[in-house]
Amino acid sequence: MNNGEFPRFYFALPRLLALFRGGSSERAENNGGEAWIASTAVYLVSYLYFAQFIPATFGLWLKILSLVLLAFLVWLFWLLALYVNSLVIKLLQACGLFRKIPVRRAQSILVAGAASAMAFQLLQAGGWQGEIAAIWLVAVAMNLAAAVILALRNGDRAHS
Amino acid sequence: MTERPNRLGRFAVRGVFWRQYLDWAVVNLPFYFYPVLLTFFTFFFFFFAAPARRAIVANLAVVLPGSSRAMNYLRAFRTLYNFAWTIAEAAIHRLIKEEFSYEIIGAEWLEELGAAPGAIVLTAHMGSYDLGAALFAEKFRREIRIVRAPEPDRQSAQHLSASLERAGEGAVKIDYNTAGALLSFDLLKALRAGEIVSIQGDRAEGEVGQVTTRLFGHEVQLPNGPFVLALVAQVPIYPLFIARYGCRRYAIIVHEPIRLESTGDREKDIASGVGQWCAILEEIVASRWDQWFAFIPIFAR
Repeated sequence: MNNGEFPRFYFALPRLLALFRGGSSERAENNGGEAWIASTAVYLVSYLYFAQFIPATFGLWLKILSLVLLAFLVWLFWLLALYVNSLVIKLLQACGLFRKIPVRRAQSILVAGAASAMAFQLLQAGGWQGEIAAIWLVAVAMNLAAAVILALRNGDRAHS
Repeated sequence: MTERPNRLGRFAVRGVFWRQYLDWAVVNLPFYFYPVLLTFFTFFFFFFAAPARRAIVANLAVVLPGSSRAMNYLRAFRTLYNFAWTIAEAAIHRLIKEEFSYEIIGAEWLEELGAAPGAIVLTAHMGSYDLGAALFAEKFRREIRIVRAPEPDRQSAQHLSASLERAGEGAVKIDYNTAGALLSFDLLKALRAGEIVSIQGDRAEGEVGQVTTRLFGHEVQLPNGPFVLALVAQVPIYPLFIARYGCRRYAIIVHEPIRLESTGDREKDIASGVGQWCAILEEIVASRWDQWFAFIPIFAR
């Protein structure tokens, strides 16, 4: 461990792969590509989750309109969810939990948890949406496993 | 009588709410949330900040002659998207002190500026000038005074001033060009004392002294303050721009200084300086039009 602390990464998997390829896991997490992939994945999973609730009885044009509108509603959902999450984190910190990690990292745990719960439900519903949900769940599981391996290997901590 | 705050005004496009929200987001959200969040905020402001959108389209029609109106709307979206990233990254630098990488184009001029006993930095509403000022103050351990046009919203102005001064850790001072002659004397005194003064010279707003010139072949009003100050204080003007190249990657572009010599004909001397500035501004705006955050119509119709 570094200075007695766990190394912390949002995306441990690419860093572990870099390590296996003979590179370093030190790369700081300010990579635009990683941000876009994760951002789009979280948004896509939540969009597909809420799209299930559009009534099948809607006509084609109403369905298209609803899907367009949903894109903005999902954005509003996340704005609200992120704010509620921040209040939950404050409450947890007041109870002595999550005090040693920055709020944005605690927020990341809640976001990944919420998106994974949506993905799990999508997986059960099946279809191509279920395939996308499965990809998300596998990616989250692999990222967690990579974080554990890096922690056990005494990996370097990315700046945050 | 005390001024009653407009409760709804804080939610206006230029209201303080959005700036406070950005600060909250930087502290509270993981970095990977920004791309989608900023994309949707860009859509939001693209529709609701209609005057800014129209101004960008009008300016682009001149900067990119022959461009279609439809394409310029898409370019306006791109400009607003870049603006969203630029102010988000400036907040990241200010609040959580994340590292940024930057390359310097015109390093010899930047070194000269860093050592100059009094100089004017002439810049534009382009890229992240607040981040640039903070980086400059940090690199050269020098104070810099930034002259800005006042924000229409008082609370936004207070927030912005505090933000800029915090980003520069005390080395960046903000002045608003509303104080008329008093500010001019103050800036002149600062230049004579060897300070560096940064002024945005790509648009003239409000009651500031203006000079009529031509940019991209069109008539424009630009502030004449920087040129008058340079002439009186006999200090060089360094054209300097900060351009965003990617995620937390910037370029500091410094041009050869404009030196105004007094020939006895003040109007001619100023016109010479303005002409040189316009040539540089045309070059930089033409190549970085997507980062020219001039949200008011610059060119005369």
